[in-house]
Parts: sequence; C-alpha cells; structure tokens
Amino acid sequence: METVLTTHFADERYRFIDTYRGFGGYEALRKAISMPRDAIVEEVRKANLRGRGGAGFPAGVKWGFLPKDMSRPRVLVVNADEGEPGTFKDRRIMSRAPHLLVEGLAIACYALTIHKAYIYIRGEFVREAGILDEAVSEAYASGFLGKDILGSGFDLDVTVHRGAGAYICGEETSTLNSLEGKRGWPRLKPPFPATIGAFGLPTIVNNVETLSDVPWIITHGGERFAALGCEKNGGTRLVGVSGPVQRPGIYELPADVNLRHVIYDVAGGLRDGKKLKAVIPGGSSTPVLRADEIDVNFDIESMAKLGTMAGTSGVIVIPEGTCMVRALRVLMNFYAHESCGQCTPCREGTGWLRKVVGRIEAGEGRPRDIELILDLCDNMMGRTICALADAAAMPAQSFLWKFREEFDRHIRDRKCPYGNRF
Amino acid sequence: MPSLTIDGKAVDVPVGTTIINAAEKIGIEIPRYCYHKHLSVAGNCRMCLVEVEKFPKLQTACSTVVTDGMVVRTDTEKVRKAVTGVLEFLLINHPIDCPICDQAGECELQNYYMKFGLHKSRFALEDKVRKKKVQDIGGQIVLDAERCILCSRCVRFLEEVTGTRELQFFRRGDHSEISVFPGRPLNNNYTGNLADICPVGALTSKDFRFKCRVWFLKAFPSVCTGCARGCNVEAFFKGDILYRYKPRVNEAVNRAWMCDFGRLEYKKANNARLLVPFVREDGREKMMSWGGLLPQVAYRLKDAVEREGPDAAAVIASPQSSNEELYLVRRIASDLLGTKNLAFTSRVPGDGFSDGFLIRGDKNPNSRGAQLLRIPGGPAFDELVVKIAAGKVRALLLFGDVLGDLTQEETAGLLSMVPFVAQAGTNEGPVSAVATAVLPIASVAERGGTFTNHAGRVQRFHAGFPPRGKAKDTIGFLTSLANRLGAGWAFDGEASVFRALAATEGPFAGMSYESIGSLGQEAKG
Amino acid sequence: MSVAFSDAGRKEFERLLARYPEKEAVILPALHLVQKEFGYVSDEAIVYIAGLLSVAPAQIEGVATFYTMYNRKPVGKYHVQVCRNLSCSLMGAEHLIGHLSRKLGIEPGETTPDGKFTLSEVECLGSCGTAPVMQVNDEYHENLTEESIDAVLDGLP
Ligand SMILES: Cc1cc2nc3c(=O)[nH]c(=O)nc-3n(C[C@H](O)[C@H](O)[C@H](O)COP(=O)(O)O)c2cc1C
Ligand code: SF4
Ligand code: SF4
Ligand code: SF4
Ligand code: FES
Ligand code: FES
Repeated sequence: METVLTTHFADERYRFIDTYRGFGGYEALRKAISMPRDAIVEEVRKANLRGRGGAGFPAGVKWGFLPKDMSRPRVLVVNADEGEPGTFKDRRIMSRAPHLLVEGLAIACYALTIHKAYIYIRGEFVREAGILDEAVSEAYASGFLGKDILGSGFDLDVTVHRGAGAYICGEETSTLNSLEGKRGWPRLKPPFPATIGAFGLPTIVNNVETLSDVPWIITHGGERFAALGCEKNGGTRLVGVSGPVQRPGIYELPADVNLRHVIYDVAGGLRDGKKLKAVIPGGSSTPVLRADEIDVNFDIESMAKLGTMAGTSGVIVIPEGTCMVRALRVLMNFYAHESCGQCTPCREGTGWLRKVVGRIEAGEGRPRDIELILDLCDNMMGRTICALADAAAMPAQSFLWKFREEFDRHIRDRKCPYGNRF
Repeated sequence: MPSLTIDGKAVDVPVGTTIINAAEKIGIEIPRYCYHKHLSVAGNCRMCLVEVEKFPKLQTACSTVVTDGMVVRTDTEKVRKAVTGVLEFLLINHPIDCPICDQAGECELQNYYMKFGLHKSRFALEDKVRKKKVQDIGGQIVLDAERCILCSRCVRFLEEVTGTRELQFFRRGDHSEISVFPGRPLNNNYTGNLADICPVGALTSKDFRFKCRVWFLKAFPSVCTGCARGCNVEAFFKGDILYRYKPRVNEAVNRAWMCDFGRLEYKKANNARLLVPFVREDGREKMMSWGGLLPQVAYRLKDAVEREGPDAAAVIASPQSSNEELYLVRRIASDLLGTKNLAFTSRVPGDGFSDGFLIRGDKNPNSRGAQLLRIPGGPAFDELVVKIAAGKVRALLLFGDVLGDLTQEETAGLLSMVPFVAQAGTNEGPVSAVATAVLPIASVAERGGTFTNHAGRVQRFHAGFPPRGKAKDTIGFLTSLANRLGAGWAFDGEASVFRALAATEGPFAGMSYESIGSLGQEAKG
Repeated sequence: MSVAFSDAGRKEFERLLARYPEKEAVILPALHLVQKEFGYVSDEAIVYIAGLLSVAPAQIEGVATFYTMYNRKPVGKYHVQVCRNLSCSLMGAEHLIGHLSRKLGIEPGETTPDGKFTLSEVECLGSCGTAPVMQVNDEYHENLTEESIDAVLDGLP
C-alpha cells in the first residue's frame, strides 16, 4: 500500500532536515510557492482531506472560512495537544518526521497568506517539543521559514508553544485561550476561530496529522490522495492500536480500513491467547463496540451507522476478563479530571458520573444507579459549550447499553466479580 | 429588523438582539445565571436553553442572536427537562444552607428550584465537594465558596468593569473554586456590586450580613447623595430604618453599579440624626417645638434686615438640598429678605476623591442644580465667609450639616461672629454643635424632590417613609418660614414647587415629574 | 521569601516576551520557566510573575491551578508520574503503581521523606501503544515492567 506519512519513519535520521531533504523533503513547499494560492487550496479540497483531530471536518472547506478581506493578519494554530486516551499518532509524527509537519504548515500558511503559526504541543511532550524546536530552527536556517521563503517574498514565523497538562486544551477554542495565556476554557461559538481566533485574529486550527498530509497532496496531487481513501474521506489514517495485542503501535492504513483487519491482521490479534471482549475504536470518547461488532470499515459513515465514530482512530482493544465497570470508571475519572469546569452539566455531570460508576464498581451501587447514569448522560449531551460533555457521556451510555449485565451484577451482588482489578 | 416568534408570540427586535432579550421584550423571562445584561456573555451556566426550530440541539438564549423568521420555544418538555437537569446539577454540590444564608429570599437558585418544582436531589449528601465557608475577602464582601455556582459574573465584573481582577477561578472541573489570591483582597471601590450580581449567596455584603431577612424589607427608588454622579438606587427599609442601598439600573448614569462609599450613604438617614428642634442659649441646648421655633427664626431674620439693612441677613444654601428646596431658598433670600448674601459651596471636608468611572470629586448630589438655579457658588461663598468673619452678618440661615470644608473649630469660630445662626440640617455635625437654632429636616429617605447631577440630569428621589422624630419635610418648613416673612405661598409638596420652578427657571423649562420619570431628564444648559 | 529569575532565566523571559503579541501569552511559558528554575510554583513566584507581566496574581493563580503540570507545592527531585488511563491499565499499570508504591514506601500523591521521589498517577500520556508508561521529570519510560522500573529508578543519582 502506498503510504503518505510513514514511508521513512524507520529512518532514525529522517527527523533531521538533510535526510528529510534527501528524500525530497521541502520540494512540495517549493512547488506550492510556484502555484497560485487558490490552486493549493483547490488541491487540498480535491484530496478530500478530513481533519484528523477527531471531528473529521474537511480541511479545504475549513480553509475557505477565512474572511475574504485581508485587513486583519491571520494565524495558523497547529493542534499538537494529543491527549485523547488511546491516541498517540501525532506524537509519532513529531518525533519521527517533524519536517513533514513544518513543511505542511508552511504550505498551508502560504496558501492562506498566514505569516504567523503556533504549534500548540501538549506540555508532557517535552522531548517532542525539543525535536520540533530543532526542526523549526533547521527550517529557518535553510530558508523554508522566516523572511522571504525561497525567494518568494513570503514571510512566515513559527513558534512552538507548550501546554501544561490539560486534555481540554485540545478542543480548538480552548487551545486558543491557552495559547493566549488563559485558563483553557473553550469559547462559545460563534464566533468561530476563522473569524475571531488567536489574539482576536482570523485563525485556522488544524491537527498535526492533517497538516502533515499536505506536502504529499501537493507533490502527488489531490486526486491521487483522495484515491488512497474512500469516497467521503481521502488518504490514509494513522491508526493507533493499544491494549494487549501482539503488535501495538501506529499503522498507516487506508481511511476505510476494516476494524477486524486492523486488530487481527495488522496488530496480530490478542496476546497470550486472550479473547476479544470489546473495542473502543477512535479514542476513549467514541462509543464502545462489542467483539461481534467489529466487522466494520473505519470510514466515518460506516462507523456512524454502528452508532460510533472513527474519532482519532485510536483503537483500544479490551480483552475478555476485563471488568467493564472498572474500565468505565477509569474513563469517568479521566473526564471528571479533565472537564474545564465552566458548563454546569459537564462540570457537575462528569463528577457525578465518576462517583456513581465508582460506587457501582466498589459494590455500593444502588438499584436505580443505571437509570441515573443514563439520565445524567441525557442531561449532559448537547447541552454544553464544547464536546467534552458528550465525550464523557458517549462511553458511559455505550458501556451500559452493551455491557448492562455487568453493571447489574455489580449492583446485585454488591461486589466486583473480577475482584476489583484489571 | 428581524421578526420572530417566541412561544407563539411575535416580536420584532433590532439586528443583533439575543433570544433572551427578545423574550424579555414580550414579558417572557428565560431562566439565567451567568447572563447579566451589563457584562459580556459567558454562556456557561446552561440555564437558558431553549428550542429553536431547525436546530437539533437546544440553544442558549443568552448567546444566540435572533434571525428573521426564527421560531423559539421556551416552554416545551425538552426545555423543562434540560433546565431542571441543570438545576439538579447545581444542587448536587450545593450546601443548601438556606436557613443561615443571607441570600435566602433573593437567591436565584432557591427561586428557580421552587419554580421548577425540584424537590430533592438524587445525590447522596455525604460526598459533596467541600470548599471554604465564610471568608472575608476584603471590600464589603464575604465569600462562601461552597455556595458558588461558578457563573463567572463576579470574575467578569472585576475584569470588565473595575479591571482589577481580584477574584478568579482556581483549579478546574468540579474542584473549580472562586477565590482571591492569598494576601490580595478585593481592592477597588465597587466591591458591593459583587453581592448584587452574585445570583446566589456566595458573595454577600458584610454590612448587611445577618441584619435582616430580605422578605421583611420594602424598597423605594432613590438617588445616592454621596457625590455629583447621582447613582440611581433602590433604598430598602423596615419601619423608619434604612437597611441598604442597591443600585437601580440607569444606563445614562450608573448602568447597574454604584460605589462602595455611596452604598453606605444610607447610614446617614439612620445615625446621628437631628430629630428635635432646639435652641442654644448660654451654651445649653433647649428643646423647642416647631411652632415655637419657626416664628423666632423668621423674626430674627426679619429683624436683622429691618434694623441693619438686607445685607445683615445671609443665607447659605446647600448642594445637598433638592432643586425644589433650592428654588424656595433662593426666593426666600432674594425676594423676601432681599439680601445679596446668598451662596453655596460644593466643598466638603475630605480629599474629594474621584475616579474615571462613577465617583465624582464633588461630594454633593445637587451642585449643578444650585448653579442652574442661579445660586451663587465658588467665590461668592468665600466672599460671604469674609463678610461673616468681619461680623457684618447678624442673622444667618444655613442649610446643611457642614460649612464647606471648614473644620469643627473653624466652623465654630466663624459662626461665633453671627449673633443668630439657624441651621436646617439632617445630621449632627460641626454646624449643629454651635448653631443658635437647629431645625431638623427630613432625610433623603423621608422626603421627595429632584437633584441635578453633574451632567445636568434631573433625577427624582422619593420619600420612603415619614420623617423620623420631629424632623420636618423641608418644603413644608420653607413654605411656613416664607409665609411668616410675608410670602403668601400655597405650595403643597415638592410637585407643586417643581411646577412653579419649571415655569420660571430656564434650564428646567418644559420639564415635569412625568417627563423626568424614573430615569431622569437632562436640564438645558 | 522573595524569588527572582537567574540571569539566564531573565533572558529567556525577555525572549518569550518578544515572541508573542500579548504579554499574557507569556504566562504559560513563564510558569514553565519558574518550575524549571525553582522546582515548583510558589506563592512568591506567582506574585513575581504577576509583577513582571503587570497582571493580577489571581490571574496567574487561576492559570497555574488549571494546568496539572504546574506544581503548586514542592515535589521530589524525581517526579514519577504513572499513567493510569485505560490502555495502560489494560497492560498492568495498576500493578506497577502498586509496585512503585511499595518500592518507594509512599502512596500516589506523596513524596519520600528524603525528598527524592514524588509518586503521582496521571492521565493518558499519549503513549498508549507502548503502555504501560511513566514519565520521570521530563522523560518518558515506556513498555514498563517491574524490572525496567527498578532499573530506571535505581539508576537515578
Ligand atoms: C475535548 C476535545 C479534545 C480535543 N483534543 C484534540 C487534540 O488533542 N488534538 C486535535 O488535533 N484535536 C482535538 N480536538 C478537536 C479539535 O477541537 C479540532 O476539531 C481539531 O483540532 C481541528 O483540526 P482538524 O480539522 O485538522 O482535525 C478535541 C476536541 C475536543 C472536543
Ligand atoms: S463541556 Fe465541559 S470541558 Fe467543554 S466547555 Fe463545558 S465544562 Fe468545559
Ligand atoms: S461567587 Fe457568585 S457571582 Fe461569582 S461565580 Fe460564584 S455564583 Fe457567580
Ligand atoms: S458614585 Fe457617587 S452617586 Fe454613585 S454611589 Fe458612589 S457616591 Fe453615590
Ligand atoms: S444564561 Fe445563558 S448560559 Fe447562562
Ligand atoms: S493510556 Fe497510558 S499513555 Fe495513553
């Protein structure tokens, strides 16, 4: 299969500019600079590139939302906050191929006449931030960033900005507030970032992987990229597989790869003769699937039909023998810990879910707790400023719907049949 | 102008109006916590969710701008479920200590959960998130962080109105807590407003704390007399005691705010009041009746004029007096006594602090009114003081409790040069300590009239209750005095005086109490 | 106690100021710098930063307490942060946290009496494919086993 991103990942030196250029790096930027700006955007639109940050919004369409009038400078923010449990693909790109991102963002900035880009990277990724810093310096030194890039007269300044430990700062408007030095509270929309974004300026926020696809699109053309994927989602995706499989890791696969194939062929199936119990397909926020539901293609539409989502394509494999109540409690801890706290339903709802799921797991559940959880989810979903409340409620609902008997049993027997452990 | 329907009622509103305000226009009150008309929209409490046709999700009425043809419903089952859901979420970590909460009675949490018939929380009380209880955070405010519903109004107020940012949210999720930084208490002159905007009992007034349950209080509209801004206030009282001022919204004057000094101005109506007429003879105070004292005052003024000419009498007017009062005072001085010795000063003891926001350097509510009514101020006052000091004034009628910025000693020294000083005042002070005759008059809560603020806006204040003790309404007192000086006036109350004044005084021409209304009207010139 | 950046820290701070269009944007990087220079973010450091940026200390505190990486209390020389999220849990994280607890003689959230180690449980570190994972100060350690944990910790000066 043709790969867009990972082709040279195995090469340790690919992260340095010389090696990167040895493989044709920055030629896409050179090509882009010779193209009319609209033609670049058109190529990305033809590529059918959908955002890889989780929401799957078509990149070309998003780029078109910038106001036509050029009186206010525009900003690009690269979302490198990767924090959705089960997701670890952007980190891989940044550590193995930082120049793919730098080149991609430079092309995007050129196409959109943006002179200032920030890479917002999660604070824990200290090493990756260092690698990016170095890559950015290399790019400056080689004339791919900075003033008068490749003699085109185009200037671009890039700043790597570190977060400081907050999953919510991956939500794009929280990213912007955090970048501005505020608490990471997501913003009310409208206005959308394309109108009022970072520092009040029109802003495009894109995920690391989304932008890293751009050089290939420019080199090979949008149509060819589109053809690598499926009808509604062009190109490849970095699918991350975690949990007790033979070969956990990041795999570049067609955007509509089959989930069973991912787990059993690509990742080699489960370890130690374990059996599959459940799969969270696209990061912890996406509704869980039972083992018998995984014959599904990873494209956005097929997943939606199953009531779940491709999300960040972070596949978490859950083996038989796992207590689903405990697994859900771990996730509920996470969302309660990460809620920014501004919207009532999310702040109180995530905390309440954590407590109720926690007491069920501890054998102290009450007969009406399941009903209570479902009702809380109902009161949270679609009622908040950002999608975190939904992100917490979706796993809760789906765990209850699909593994109801385990919850009932905890409540009935007043203890965990798995002995309160993984 | 977009037109839309809300719960089936049609309404037209200007472009840019949000649903919550469009609804208000037709009398539909959409529940809210974070929304406050005078602060930016935060949209975080999620109380104001409504159904909007064509939108699959409920929308927040506070942040959604209406579009033409929009169909909004605030009364559906879905909305009700969402709102009760939010209330329930708010209550799970709320202490529900209403019996000991000062906010009880005007608490938006209490109000809404009664309105939505929410009874008991499904949540075990024992594992509520605990936060700091009663905490003095400076200014006029006590904080109970446990009661906070994190609406962020206070944070926005301190960001957008005072710019001082003392209160912030710390931590996140359900551990988010409102607080000041240790050792950095509230440090601005508008802290009292925080208790007003806090929808629950998290920020309450130190001054009002435990003084009175709010449901025992009645209120009337008034105007703060603390400075020339003339902030519009609501005065709360029980019996003949004022308990507090709260700002009354007036976009042209004080928006929704007032300063901390003004907020405590109400105390003047309660404390150290002059409540009985008295004369001072050989250093001793002798109580008098109005009937006994008033003729004496009239006689002494007339006598001075008759014996030594009109300029042996003098009148010092007060910028604390209403337009109506000042008008009568001027006529008494000029028309009846015929003296040229009429003056006022805006100076008061103290530093005349002002800020670029509400607080004015002039600490009187009606200096502008005195000017517009052609009562000489500034140098005229200083000249009169010189005359008095030179012993040229034999009888003085003095309004107010202070004599400009003179100290107690200076006041005593100056007034000792006048054989007869009649003071019409409300409170004990340097003047009442030495005046020959003291005429206690009604406080601002006990009488009505208008003040003209620094910008020339004429604003009404009202009597909330009858004058305390033997204090008398000034209009009545001035009318009796004038009639004893031969005026033949038939004024009955401040309204009749204002009519007369509007008929003859240019700046007030064409004005009436009706046209002034509750929000005031600009005088001309 | 008053705090102030070292000369190098001060230089870095000035460089940061020049990099952003608004001074508030320097708050996060400045807090990272504080933590690097002083080990944690003290009240004094907050007042110091607030002074340098002319903002209210409460604003800095609001930011500092929002983000979990800023330690508002001193931590050990080595801050051992173990992921407790799902992928790591499925691969034995709980067991390893127990091991660390026993080895260091402290519970998560505590610091060893000699001030050498603080043990914390953290959420997903974005390294789920190499679970279980821990971060010791800035550095990731992946595919953990009891043995590899011992090797890492025992090798620390
Ligand atoms: C709670 C939450 C967390 C998110 N975290 C991330 C993240 O870590 N990285 C990311 O790229 N997008 C994240 N997103 C999605 C972003 O809001 C946004 O859609 C994305 O960055 C846009 O880029 P894309 O169009 O290239 O995908 C998150 C969204 C939510 C609601
Ligand atoms: S939904 Fe949750 S995380 Fe998102 S803005 Fe509201 S409180 Fe914050
Ligand atoms: S203290 Fe009051 S005003 Fe401030 S956030 Fe809490 S509830 Fe709102
Ligand atoms: S600004 Fe002046 S009028 Fe307004 S409350 Fe303060 S003292 Fe009273
Ligand atoms: S009033 Fe609209 S969300 Fe709070
Ligand atoms: S779950 Fe541990 S690193 Fe993601």
